[in-house]
Amino acid sequence: MKLTQTLLFLALGAATLPAQTPAPEEAPKKKRAPAAAEGGAVAHQVVQNNSLVRVNATSQPFSLHLPWQKESPSGRRGLGVVLAGNRVLVTGQMVADATYIELELPDKGQKISAKVVAVDYEANLALLESAPSDKQKAFFAGLKPMAVDVGTRIGDKVDILQTGRVGELIKSELNIGKVLTRHYNVEGSGFLVYEANNIVRSEANSFTLPVVKGGKLVGLLLSYDSKNQVTTILPAPIIEHFLKDVADGSYEGFPSLGMELQATLDEQFREFLGLKPDAPGVLISMVMKGGSAEKSGMLKGDILVAINGFAIDSRGDYKDPQFGPLSSSHLVRGRAYVGDKVEIKVIRDGKEVTLNGELTRRKPDDYLVLPYLFDKGPRYVLMGGLLFQELSRPYLDAFGEDRRGGAILRLSHVASHPDKYEEEGRKKLVFLSLVLPTPSAQGYDKLGGQVVNKVNGKTINDLNDLAEAFKNTKDTVHIIELNDFPHILYLDSFSAERDNMRLLGGAYRIGSLKRLE
Amino acid sequence: MNTRPLLSLFALALLPSALCAQPAPVPPPATQAIDVKSGAWEGIVNIDVSVLVPDYREPWNAGQPSGGSGTGFLIGKNRFLTNAHVVSNATRILIRTTNDPEPHPAKIVHIAHDCDLALIEAEDGSHFDKLKPLDFGGIPQLNTEVIAIGYPIGGDRISVTRGVVSRIDFRPYSHTSVDSHLAIQVDAAINPGNSGGPVMQEGKVVGVAFQGFSGRVAQNVGYMIPVPVIKRFLKDIEDGRYDHYVDLAASDFPIENPAQAKALGTNGDGVGVMVGDVEPQGSVAGLLKIGDVILSIDDNPVMNNGLVRFEGELMDMNEIVERKFAGDTIKLKYMRDGKKLEATVTLKRFDPYVRLGAQYNQRPRYIVNAGLVFQPLDRNLMDAHQMRDDTVNYVFDNFLTDKLYVDRPEPVVLTNVLPDEVNTWLAPYAHSIVDEINGVKIKSLKDVETALAKKDKPFIEIVLLEKNRPLVLKRELAEAAHKRIMQTYNILEDSYLGDE
Repeated sequence: MKLTQTLLFLALGAATLPAQTPAPEEAPKKKRAPAAAEGGAVAHQVVQNNSLVRVNATSQPFSLHLPWQKESPSGRRGLGVVLAGNRVLVTGQMVADATYIELELPDKGQKISAKVVAVDYEANLALLESAPSDKQKAFFAGLKPMAVDVGTRIGDKVDILQTGRVGELIKSELNIGKVLTRHYNVEGSGFLVYEANNIVRSEANSFTLPVVKGGKLVGLLLSYDSKNQVTTILPAPIIEHFLKDVADGSYEGFPSLGMELQATLDEQFREFLGLKPDAPGVLISMVMKGGSAEKSGMLKGDILVAINGFAIDSRGDYKDPQFGPLSSSHLVRGRAYVGDKVEIKVIRDGKEVTLNGELTRRKPDDYLVLPYLFDKGPRYVLMGGLLFQELSRPYLDAFGEDRRGGAILRLSHVASHPDKYEEEGRKKLVFLSLVLPTPSAQGYDKLGGQVVNKVNGKTINDLNDLAEAFKNTKDTVHIIELNDFPHILYLDSFSAERDNMRLLGGAYRIGSLKRLE
Repeated sequence: MNTRPLLSLFALALLPSALCAQPAPVPPPATQAIDVKSGAWEGIVNIDVSVLVPDYREPWNAGQPSGGSGTGFLIGKNRFLTNAHVVSNATRILIRTTNDPEPHPAKIVHIAHDCDLALIEAEDGSHFDKLKPLDFGGIPQLNTEVIAIGYPIGGDRISVTRGVVSRIDFRPYSHTSVDSHLAIQVDAAINPGNSGGPVMQEGKVVGVAFQGFSGRVAQNVGYMIPVPVIKRFLKDIEDGRYDHYVDLAASDFPIENPAQAKALGTNGDGVGVMVGDVEPQGSVAGLLKIGDVILSIDDNPVMNNGLVRFEGELMDMNEIVERKFAGDTIKLKYMRDGKKLEATVTLKRFDPYVRLGAQYNQRPRYIVNAGLVFQPLDRNLMDAHQMRDDTVNYVFDNFLTDKLYVDRPEPVVLTNVLPDEVNTWLAPYAHSIVDEINGVKIKSLKDVETALAKKDKPFIEIVLLEKNRPLVLKRELAEAAHKRIMQTYNILEDSYLGDE
């Protein structure tokens, strides 16, 4: 699973130029000739060009392993869609960890800087705006907002738009072949996705590409797999949901039920569950603490048969009036909003029970292990050379699949099964991630990956606890209790402070001993 | 990690003519020249082995026939010492001397996988009666010359190479990959086929050649098993049985940090190592605690990095335990909360680690039921199935570190689902750890048998660890399908639970 995702991401050519061109040795030649021909052919009918702007963003994420510093900056280019109010829609990926964003007119090359008004990394959408000024007025003067069309159906022909060197429009026609749910570029529940087949030309600006039909926006390109010529599209219904949510002034995000379900296609399993051969329904195998489902009274072991009046079949699908069979998660995530009422029908002990609840969203910070982290630096505390961090998915993912052994395998297991730690009252999982060679940490430099249980007798539920605990030493020695070998570390509080002072601005270029915001 | 056993592959067929040839030319005059005519080398024999490598994917099958060749040497009347890895999984063992083409069938008398040593005997030992057994020396000094004698690749006759002792250290033994003992590094060329052969100094055996590095990793690095390890093996089997190594089953953590030394109460004289972990089923369980400081073992002071000065050399403190046998005692002095304490510990083997290493001479154990294959989790299984499942990998990798063995001494894996109408929906759940069957918690393969024998309910219900749905089979359908699946997939016995 993970591997294909990575490949798709590369095929999409997100971050770097070489990655965008699947076969660099022949692609440039091939591209030149048709580009000129096609560019010439379409030059007369530059119809939709005035709703598109080039977006250039510079991205600079924080280092996950040395969290006081940033990685090297890199550029991303894409095509944004102009919407009402002179706002520009792009994918969330486009502006993740952005340090500088600018808009550029495709034909004239005029540029103006822009800021993110709203971003949702789960829905992979962002809205940009330039500060009002004469320059801004002039920039948007020739641009026309594009409308959003949520009416796409399977079989529709749509165009992916790109612009050439002088702003000429380049179209690739696609047929929408499938509608499904899949998570976008961060882990989590599935969102609606259109899937289409055809060849998409590879141009320089491929990070965000609009997909249109009849002059209206039907989606943004999510990924293009050049080997199988499969394109996935972030669809208009999700864009519309995002825009409506932004429009009311406070952004809530996409709701979820917070449960896991199991298909009941297996006849023996159905009989075991007491389901009739042709009755609908799926088994609820997990109900997340604090989620909408739990609050509505759903229990593990219930058979889910309907959500908001839509029957759920034994695969967990409902029949969508527009798209046909579709995962039931879309009923909540795509078709409802945070705060909406939800009506769930389950079979419990052979009887149908109706559950009523209100939809909520679990925020990234509500998770024991942060599912994603953009625009902010990882939280950390540095004490006498010992670096403590809170476990996050990006931190684990940075190790790759192949290098998962020892401490990383153990931490990954915690990330996949956080229940036990959450029950202990932990809000975040604090661990010793690295030991810098200092006199006070002498003897500890090979450690890393140990979960912290207590410091100076205080239970550590997050990094704030840790920072607080270091203020109360007994007999000038910090006692750090770990979940793993060697289980106890001692640190002299005076020499740790002395090392802290040396670390600030020293060889490791540490500007701050902690980040807790 | 990169060490490999030095067993040469069977592909090099021995040419009988070569064996009839004249004795090997005497090496150029050297201080350690051996008088060939005296027959001193006759006791160093080639061991030719036919092997059946067990099949952990299809555990009901016989396995893959293979073979190899190594070296052994006479140490007593019809007693040949060699490496365990030379004769592991052997179905036939043949001994040949360098000057006699006659193969002599042999069998294993004792085999110790944890220290890679084995004792074999010829079925008819009379042929070797006149040969002189080799004598053992001691631990050779660094930078003194040794010769390695054996039958490595590159020819059929006996071979000798020369080098010096480079290092004496506690090293992992790659045969099981989980055992570490004293090993001596030499720079004499030691190659596949040298395995089990003697390394000699002044006419006496100072080690058994057993492993080396691939040339891509390091040059001129060969290892031999030193005499203390050999003697321990020979003493252990004196009672007719090999009892394995014993272990403290505690992990030590150096006391290098000044604050740590102060907090633990060591007075900075470099004596004492911290206890970083204690295995709840090991020899010192209930005695030592995390944070204790081990001061001495059998009155040998333990340094802050866990070393002791023993027989004139600095060695890991475990070396003192290594020399002991099951049931022996050691005297431990340790400190807790600043108080000095003393205890006598009876040593025992620590079993849970065994399954983390490679195991040999064992028929794979399994249970097949309605096409569902259950096997115990161990290194052999992991290697054969190339498990990708996160839970299986976590349980295997953290079996000791997270003390998972306490709850589940023998985790059982659903390794395969042999497709049939009855189990067609269960295939995606292969490579899962079995938590419960029919309400019985599965702590060993035997529990699977017990649980499957429970027939009070119309369904067989299998709960998998960290998988969110039970696997369910209707008992009558499963029973009807079982025979059919056994036939279709050519499985003669539906289980092998070991010889008990």
